[in-house]
Amino acid sequence: MAVAAPGQLNLDESPSWGSRSVDCFEKLEQIGEGTYGQVYMAKEIKTGEIVALKKIRMDNEREGFPITAIREIKILKKLHHENVIQLKEIVTSPGPEKDEQGKPDGNKYKGSIYMVFEYMDHDLTGLADRPGMRFAVPQIKCYMKQLLTGLHYCHVNQVLHRDIKGSNLLIDNEGNLKLADFGLARSFSSDHNGNLTNRVITLWYRPPELLLGTTKYGPAVDMWSVGCIFAELLHGKPILPGKNEPEQLTKIFELCGTPDEINWPGVSKLPWYNNFKPSRPMKRRVREVFKHFDRHALDLLERMLTLDPNQRISAKDALDAEYFWNDPLPCDPKSLPKYESSHEFQTKKKRQQQRQQEETAKRQKLQHPQPHARLPPIQQPGQVHSQIRPGPSQPIHNAPPPQMAAGPGHHYGKPRGPSGGPSRYPQGGGNPSGGYNPNRGGQGGGYTSGPYPPPGRGPPPYAGSGMPGTGGPRGGSAGGYGVGAPNYPQGGPYGANNQGRGPNMMGGGRNQQQYGGWQ
Amino acid sequence: MAANFWASSHCKQLLDPDDVGVLQPLDKERGLTQEEFKLIKIHMTNHIWKLAQQVKVRQRVIATAVTYFRRVYTRKSMTEYDPRLVAPTCLYLASKAEESTVQARLLVFYIKKLTGPDEKYRFEIKDILEMEMKLLEALDYYLIVFHPYRALLQLLQDAGMTDLTHYAWGLVNDTYKMDLILIYPPYMIALACIYIASVLKDKETTAWFEELRVDMNVVKNIAIEILDFYDYYKGDTCKGEPARGIPEERINAALNKLATK
Repeated sequence: MAVAAPGQLNLDESPSWGSRSVDCFEKLEQIGEGTYGQVYMAKEIKTGEIVALKKIRMDNEREGFPITAIREIKILKKLHHENVIQLKEIVTSPGPEKDEQGKPDGNKYKGSIYMVFEYMDHDLTGLADRPGMRFAVPQIKCYMKQLLTGLHYCHVNQVLHRDIKGSNLLIDNEGNLKLADFGLARSFSSDHNGNLTNRVITLWYRPPELLLGTTKYGPAVDMWSVGCIFAELLHGKPILPGKNEPEQLTKIFELCGTPDEINWPGVSKLPWYNNFKPSRPMKRRVREVFKHFDRHALDLLERMLTLDPNQRISAKDALDAEYFWNDPLPCDPKSLPKYESSHEFQTKKKRQQQRQQEETAKRQKLQHPQPHARLPPIQQPGQVHSQIRPGPSQPIHNAPPPQMAAGPGHHYGKPRGPSGGPSRYPQGGGNPSGGYNPNRGGQGGGYTSGPYPPPGRGPPPYAGSGMPGTGGPRGGSAGGYGVGAPNYPQGGPYGANNQGRGPNMMGGGRNQQQYGGWQ
Repeated sequence: MAANFWASSHCKQLLDPDDVGVLQPLDKERGLTQEEFKLIKIHMTNHIWKLAQQVKVRQRVIATAVTYFRRVYTRKSMTEYDPRLVAPTCLYLASKAEESTVQARLLVFYIKKLTGPDEKYRFEIKDILEMEMKLLEALDYYLIVFHPYRALLQLLQDAGMTDLTHYAWGLVNDTYKMDLILIYPPYMIALACIYIASVLKDKETTAWFEELRVDMNVVKNIAIEILDFYDYYKGDTCKGEPARGIPEERINAALNKLATK
């Protein structure tokens, strides 16, 4: 800062340049933990406004200000849209900053920088994981529309998000959805044909072209992720939870069929095509696997989960899809229910306790060789799972899988139990805490042995009987989607065993930060 | 980069010509003159250029670095922000912002190689990283910069004068020795360079310019500024080395007034 000479006013220093100090904010609580620092909920002292502070750690940075933060700031500074998280300002901690041990640190570059964002109450994954939460079709349409609108805006402005996933889609209590976490985002331009890294996008949402090693790609990569999220919202759990890259590709091929020069011209020229070339051709089975979706949803999903990125639907065209213009129409965001914020200090503490218990469960579990720690998929009724699910109060399936590295790590698990959050949606009877999440815990297993039912024995989309709490650990029904809302099959297999799921039910892989989007 | 210049921070931050060359009070106190201020900026632009050639980065990175450098001094004094440190740090930051990262230690190595035994140019990695933070603040974290190069190629194509590319490109390079990039939209700078090139090479462009419906007064004003610059610093317009005419002693005298190190 320029300091005026004695006797002079310091008028020349324009206050609009340079950053304010983080002391302008009062940190209320930590709401997330990211790769480059913590995320806090904070209050601006002067105005009382609640914001999110995302800390950019500067220590351990041999190359100064992290380029990921530079990318994010550069991009956020140019994007201004109601469906894109707004970077309000950047503040610094006043140097010399003290480090965690309280040692003073004279170097400002080792201090901290905070990005100040508008505060958002939830992220999509967190919201969906709430006990008893089930999205109605108009609500899903409403979120999807906002997601596509925001993404279309990014793409028009030549920004690839490159990490679209539920935990990066933040939702406020006005029902607004905003894209967040542009830490992996990049500008692209048609005249700059530079190679881009294919090591982006959380594995479950990563498109086949990246898995096959392409380094020249465009907005279509984000649209694949949108397709995965779309299906996940309708289906009730992640649809392609691969443990590693080869397995991810296998899962994609099993669902979308194997690529060849006919359905995807040029695929055989991709760098890793020969490494991953499937031994036998497989049929595309999207319509079969998701036949319980309504027709327009399925049409749109088909076009999003198109193997060939050149044929994949764009955000703009997706917004024009029949799905959004047929009854039930997307609802007005403001009409959506308000959910209680998930960041109370107690909640977090609870989560920590739960995590500890979960750790214990994990250790116990590791003594039993069960590679597929993730809860089994509900659409595989009567398959292996009946053997490995002994009883209602066995937390065993909820322990995280041994392999945690590959999957997305995000939001804190939510506290679960009978006290489920407010929901205006019909619930799978007798399973108040049921729902979405049982399968979201870990990311490894469950699915692995065969993500989709073998041909010829597809599960009934809706088990007519409905499982709701008809006793028995599995609701007395061998499977299917025994829940009310047609498009949101969940809760089913676990019948009325909610107390048995106890605290360990959130899985390991995704419990890192509830506020994934803030990282 | 942003698709739309008009919606960009670069556009919104364009300055009035009168606001650009203004000396910061602190520099004035040190007795720095307007002329010396200009000279230091030219000299440091060249320094960035030479450094960039050593570390091998794209043209864009250089242009962005110089823009940062010039933007910083519309807000900060040279007394506080030593240009000898700010210049390489701008290159360092621009290399990140433009996705062709240069390692700090490499930069430090080439600074030493380039400036030899001159202690005043010698900096450690730590200095660069510390200055980087200060620059980010001084720039208010606005890092996207538009340049005339892309517009230049498109316009020349449109005018059917691609044979002027080399010449006009050199002119655009030289505009970074002035503060034009802080004042005018990049495509106007490109047009001014095309205008000069076409006049000097006897190309008839009146009709083409008329069709563009741009304010020719602005284009001509920019062109005049560029020509004045060449005139004043007696550079060789064809080789694009206008700074050749600036004697080392004058630069040193100016920098010594700052005596920051």
